[in-house]
Amino acid sequence: MDPKEVEIPGNSDPNQPGGRISHLALDIGGSLIKLVYFSTNYDVDDEVGRSGKKSFGVSNGNRDHPVLKGRLYFVKFETSKINDCLEFIQNKQLHLGGYRHLEAPPIDKTIIKATGGGAYKYADLFKEKLGISLDKEDEMDCLVGGVNFLLKAVHQEAFTYMDGQKEFVQIDHNDLYPYLLVNIGSGVSMLKVDGDGKFERVSGTNVGGGTFWGLGRLLTNCKNFDELLELSHRGNNRVIDMLVGDIYGGTDYSKIGLSSTTIASSFGKAISDNKELQDYRPEDLARSLLRMISNNIGQISYLNALQFGLKRIFFGGFFIRGHTYTMDTISVAVHFWSKGEAKAMFLRHEGFLGALGAFRSYDKHGADDSLVHQLMQPFPTTSCLAGDKICSPPNGELNENESIECSVYAS
Amino acid sequence: MATPTEDPVLEIDGIKGEEEETVENNKPIDKVVGVAGEESGQGERDMALSAGSLIHRSGSRPQLDLSKAAIQGNFEERNPTILLPNQSDDIFHLALDIGGSLIKLVYFSRHEDQASNDMRKKTVKERLGISNGNRRSYPILGGRLHFVKFETSKINDCLDFIYSKQLHHGMDSHWHSELPADDNAVIKATGGGAYKYADLFKERLGVSLDKEDEMNCLVAGANFLLKAIRHEAFTHVEGQKEFVQIDHNELFPYLLVNIGSGVSMIKVDGDGKFQRVSGTNVGGGTYWGLGKLLTKCKSFDELLELSQRGDNRTIDMLVGDIYGGMDYSKIGLSASTIASSFGKAISENKELEDYRPEDISLSLLRMISYNIGQISYLNAIRFGIKRIFFGGFFIRGHAYTMDTISFAVHFWSKGEMQAMFLRHEGFLGALGAFMSYEKHGLDVLMAHQLVERFPMGAPYTGGKIHGPPLGDLNEKISWMEKFVQKGTEITAPVPMAPPGTTGLGGFEVPLSKGGILRSDASALNVGVLHLVPSLEVFPLLADLKMYEPNTIDLSDHNELEYWFTVLSEHLLDLVDKAVASEGGTDDAKRRGDAFARAFSAHLARLLEEPAAYGKLGLANLLELREECLREFQFVDAYRSIKQRENEASLAVLPDLLMELDSMSEEIRLLTLIEGVLAANIFDWGARACVDLYHKGTIIEIYRMSRNKMQRPWRVDDFDVFKERMLGSGDKKPAPHRRALLFVDNAGADVVLGMLPLARELLRRGTEVVLVANSLPALNDVTAMELPDIVAEAAKHCDILRRAAEAGGLLVDAMINTLDGCKENSCLVPLMVVENGCGSPCIDLRQVSSDLAAAAKDADLIILEGMGRALHTNFNAQFKCDALKLAMVKNQRLAEKLINGNIYDCVCRYEPAS
Repeated sequence: MDPKEVEIPGNSDPNQPGGRISHLALDIGGSLIKLVYFSTNYDVDDEVGRSGKKSFGVSNGNRDHPVLKGRLYFVKFETSKINDCLEFIQNKQLHLGGYRHLEAPPIDKTIIKATGGGAYKYADLFKEKLGISLDKEDEMDCLVGGVNFLLKAVHQEAFTYMDGQKEFVQIDHNDLYPYLLVNIGSGVSMLKVDGDGKFERVSGTNVGGGTFWGLGRLLTNCKNFDELLELSHRGNNRVIDMLVGDIYGGTDYSKIGLSSTTIASSFGKAISDNKELQDYRPEDLARSLLRMISNNIGQISYLNALQFGLKRIFFGGFFIRGHTYTMDTISVAVHFWSKGEAKAMFLRHEGFLGALGAFRSYDKHGADDSLVHQLMQPFPTTSCLAGDKICSPPNGELNENESIECSVYAS
Repeated sequence: MATPTEDPVLEIDGIKGEEEETVENNKPIDKVVGVAGEESGQGERDMALSAGSLIHRSGSRPQLDLSKAAIQGNFEERNPTILLPNQSDDIFHLALDIGGSLIKLVYFSRHEDQASNDMRKKTVKERLGISNGNRRSYPILGGRLHFVKFETSKINDCLDFIYSKQLHHGMDSHWHSELPADDNAVIKATGGGAYKYADLFKERLGVSLDKEDEMNCLVAGANFLLKAIRHEAFTHVEGQKEFVQIDHNELFPYLLVNIGSGVSMIKVDGDGKFQRVSGTNVGGGTYWGLGKLLTKCKSFDELLELSQRGDNRTIDMLVGDIYGGMDYSKIGLSASTIASSFGKAISENKELEDYRPEDISLSLLRMISYNIGQISYLNAIRFGIKRIFFGGFFIRGHAYTMDTISFAVHFWSKGEMQAMFLRHEGFLGALGAFMSYEKHGLDVLMAHQLVERFPMGAPYTGGKIHGPPLGDLNEKISWMEKFVQKGTEITAPVPMAPPGTTGLGGFEVPLSKGGILRSDASALNVGVLHLVPSLEVFPLLADLKMYEPNTIDLSDHNELEYWFTVLSEHLLDLVDKAVASEGGTDDAKRRGDAFARAFSAHLARLLEEPAAYGKLGLANLLELREECLREFQFVDAYRSIKQRENEASLAVLPDLLMELDSMSEEIRLLTLIEGVLAANIFDWGARACVDLYHKGTIIEIYRMSRNKMQRPWRVDDFDVFKERMLGSGDKKPAPHRRALLFVDNAGADVVLGMLPLARELLRRGTEVVLVANSLPALNDVTAMELPDIVAEAAKHCDILRRAAEAGGLLVDAMINTLDGCKENSCLVPLMVVENGCGSPCIDLRQVSSDLAAAAKDADLIILEGMGRALHTNFNAQFKCDALKLAMVKNQRLAEKLINGNIYDCVCRYEPAS
């Protein structure tokens, strides 16, 4: 397969006329709002792109439609700053690019695909501020749709991360299913995915990104998630965690395979220390917290994969954020509990799975702007995508942090 | 009653001389140790052990040896802790589990059992075929297991405790024969601290810690508890505890989740067969550690207590918060499901100080409990295990913790699995370390050989007995007085709320805090485990598995309240009797007051949390009262009353016997049964009867009662019984070989009711064994008192005399007829055995080995009286014919049980099943 030319089959409606040039989908979570939108510099282009031709050959051969070339943009806002988000949409006029109901007057019946709990919670706000209706897409559907899309469409979307080494993994489409998808948002959902649209939420945990951030805020007075992650990077968890060595006086408990540096009890040392919260460095607190939560998620994920006989575990969601330490601890946990048999895999576009899925869902509804995404230059398109971190400015402010060049069939 | 000190009769020189070993009592301790060791090692000669085989419920000893006890500390401190006097326990064996947060101690105090060298008993034993030769010898020493906890950070308190009780010097040579006992004492220890604090123990106490593997200990402890202690495990769902009896054969495999600072998950396949399959670093240490940082709580218990009043919704992000109050029902999440623990702290502009510590504590507790439940479930399913036992200090009998874990397991397993908890959670490791001593023999202990006692203080400390030991009885009483005085100021470690006021016995129960999930209400008490190797299961029970002694289930709250009221109202009268039985001295009055307080406290505690002492039936409650009396050295509160009634009854016995002898066989049998039922009216435990006593002499009451006898009785199987006895028409059935008569009250009940019935059976050629209490309970006749009563009755009746002689009952009374005994040995004997109980009821799973032996040839059981035939055993099925006789002296019981009225009679006959 040509990595540069990927077509997503079965998602176009050939009978619809050409549409708008920008398309917006939202994932409004408990902590973050994720936006995915498509924007093109070109008008409707009848000429099929260089890759398009090829992909036609691969696909059903029914393509005879104009192609929009442009970019998919990925943007995040903190949910608490939803007004910034509304402003952003307003400024960019993104809401005008949404799917319009055929029978309704276009102006006041703009409908935007949205998912996440906030799609319900903030529906009225969107209506009021932007005059748009949020069309609620099922969160899990969107998640899985997003991942399936990414894993199939984007070359080198998945990677493992061990000991600071990032290794991209190309997964054969035919061997993709079943897999476990662990989406770490505020909470954690674990989905067993058996195919496109075929999945089941098998587990989850309430100890997730929200816990990290929430507890972290209380413990360190950090102002935002990224600051907390930064802190954890510089911390030493041994200060607060009770290690096996602390209990056994420095010796391993090797009989059951625990080394002296294994964490026996997260925050366990705080019990016996005569210290107050202020006496601990925020860095160390953040580090312990991160390790606790990553380790826990890794463990529960592994156990679920084991229960259902799943070989691959993909981790996504805003908690990961390409943060190396988070990925590292999750990887270590999966490695530890599986005795090296399972590997944690991560997605480059973690965090945007739901929004991407919502974006894709425009297709399913016989929309006038039915889209086919032809990813032209998935990696690396922008400078933002090049690093370990997928462009996440430390202050976490509004950012247009990445984009993927792609083509869209506007049939 | 098993010890000479209790009963002067036993101190007659001639008897004492019979077997020299009794002298051991007076030997220095180390000598005793040596002897005990030798015997135990050989497992053959079992003088000391056979002494133990004479029933001995050590907790029931009325005489306290207070030499070991001491008192320390002052009562003004905020957390006074008590230690119970160890009475005459001499030899200590200590094992430790030093964890990251808590130190758990298990120590064993051997109880010096003495042979009660009673010739009568010896003869009975010979007659029953029980002799030292063919009795199995017990590899176990009788004694008590104590459970104590300290915070690891207060390890010095722990060292002081060990030192003050001299526990470290108790390692007797027979458990450690290769080591000199003095300066090289070795104590079994487990837990990480066994390594860390080894030097400290060496330095402070001069003892070496022998490190035992932690997992080994955990598993050994859990296996021991699950096998040896009845109803050790329980489920906890929505605040409701349900005790579970697990069949030993179906015990394995199970998942043992030990929640200490961290969490270990162990798959257990059998004794010593296990594997640590998983664990998590998010455990008790995380709760406490994070909780301490976030709330500034000073102790784990304080943190737990905070959680009681918390509302986690202020800080957790619920599914409803995300979905705007709607469920996400598509994936089975309700709006109140926690989506993200502490997730709300993200979006609100609040600082740590803006949150209530209560909410933080609850949120933290739920996060960790839920997580542990989930990971446990995932591991159980991985190995196809159905049962998960949760233990470790994190649980602490804390309702919310258990509920959350149970919920998680139930939720994830879709109801397929159950989370179970252990009453002795927290002590698994220490118990296991204890088990690792060689030759203690505990591994062969069976549930029927263990009796759990809840001594004074249990209601206050919630079973967490630690701190300075209480000294003698005097100091114990002082403590009671102080406690009551300062009640609300003193906060025992558990329960966590200060006592409030209740009408119950004028004592106090914790303040109600609303809601059903209260930690203090659910904290389970851990009593002292009394090891009584001589107890056995009554062999004639038709189905041990189905057997439940209690007829009244006190888990029904109305029932519970009713009986608590009955007991509370009766308390005053009981105290009067008890004080009077000791001559009404000031000392007796003081002890009486202390007893009333202590028992009221037990009642209050149990009313608050019926499961606090384990599965609670009426029998347990009645026994607790007797134990409590004995704890305050009331040997026999009804002694003089019993004596008086015996004399009065014996005086009219000859006339009764003459009257009976003039009747035809058929009428006589009916009259005899009527007599038993009529005489059963005497019961100092029944309020209605206490009132009766004020109206006339016992003989008058008895006559009145007999005159009122009118068939059919409320339950009337007499005709069936008669047919079995006398046959119908020409058919004459063979008489029973041997009958066991479980007697009830002293006085008319036994003398004018049961003795004549026994005489009739003897006359028909049936051997009769009178089964009576080992220790006094109310006005019940004891096995110790019976021979004298029989001897007195025998003076006027040849049948009784010959049978008593044949049964060896008259050895003392008529020494000069000893030779005659031999001649008469072909005659049908009348014997007396003790039942192993000190309670008005009887749990047939735990009876004396003598009774078990006597039961072997028995083909008829007669249970008499409310306690033994109604409160307990009413529904019991036996392998042989059984007759249950009682007069119901309680309106409510009459209504409930037989749909009748007070003074109705029960004559229930069930042929062998």
